[in-house]
Amino acid sequence: MTASIATLVLGFIIGYLGQRSRLCFVSGYRDFILTHDTTLLKGVAGAFIGALGGFIIFGLLGSGIIGFPMIQQTSILTRSALIITIVAGLGVGIVGALSGGCPYRMHVLAAEGKKTYWVYLLGFYAGLIFYNLGTVHFVDMLKTVLK
Amino acid sequence: MSLRQVKVSPLQAGLVLGFGSALVQAYFKVIPPVAYGVCMVCHPKDLFNWIADHLLHLNWGYSLASTNWPLLTVVGVVLGAMVAAYQHGELHVRSARQPLFFFINGFLMINFGLILGACPIRVVLLSAYGNWLGIIGWVCIVIGVLVGTWTLRWVAARTVARSTLT
Repeated sequence: MTASIATLVLGFIIGYLGQRSRLCFVSGYRDFILTHDTTLLKGVAGAFIGALGGFIIFGLLGSGIIGFPMIQQTSILTRSALIITIVAGLGVGIVGALSGGCPYRMHVLAAEGKKTYWVYLLGFYAGLIFYNLGTVHFVDMLKTVLK
Repeated sequence: MSLRQVKVSPLQAGLVLGFGSALVQAYFKVIPPVAYGVCMVCHPKDLFNWIADHLLHLNWGYSLASTNWPLLTVVGVVLGAMVAAYQHGELHVRSARQPLFFFINGFLMINFGLILGACPIRVVLLSAYGNWLGIIGWVCIVIGVLVGTWTLRWVAARTVARSTLT
């Protein structure tokens, strides 16, 4: 229950801040590529610095930051994991650039009342059902084949 | 100073997001997996599958962090953005453009995101955690955005060239 309430509160805060700041984890790279504008890219850097600072501080306080830093754990770098990460990462980047933002930004824009992004979220959640019915089994098969 | 005049920079919002995600992992049991404080593909999946599992017994998987209660990040984000938009007079229903294009984009985004196991936010969190797959995923997302942006630029240039010819 605590996790539910905590994520609801954190979600509310970042939703509010995201609407006010136009923070986006795809547009930051796109704006830098197109116009060398670093405004949104600073948001991505901020998230990295904030998370890193948080993990270090809470890790030193000895609370819930298990296995940090994971940089020495190279056992996760299996062939199947690498191939899947590279293909899916490229897919997320290309689709994000084409649609003009990351899923976080799309939820914020949908909450502003833009029907374009309601349709995006309709596809998003229809895609989730498709993932549960088909993609997840395909990925499991792929992992076995690539092992 | 009233709330209406408060301005937030992306850097400030990013810092709060990053630190908040570490905080919910450290003190509010949003773990396992690690660096799971904010994810805009995995948390919607957890919520959706948790409801599907409890109402329809479909046995669709969700993370251990939402075993007892689902993670409500996506509900919070929508509510927070709606409140902010309403407060600043930016909450207006606007008609849809290119609905099929955006529907397909949404469909593909969640599938690629769930295969990756992260959204563009979580790869940043995973990278901060020192996870190699997070770092590789982040690099690949940036390369993907580069390819997508070049594609859009190429399509736009071709459209302009065609319109000047006719």
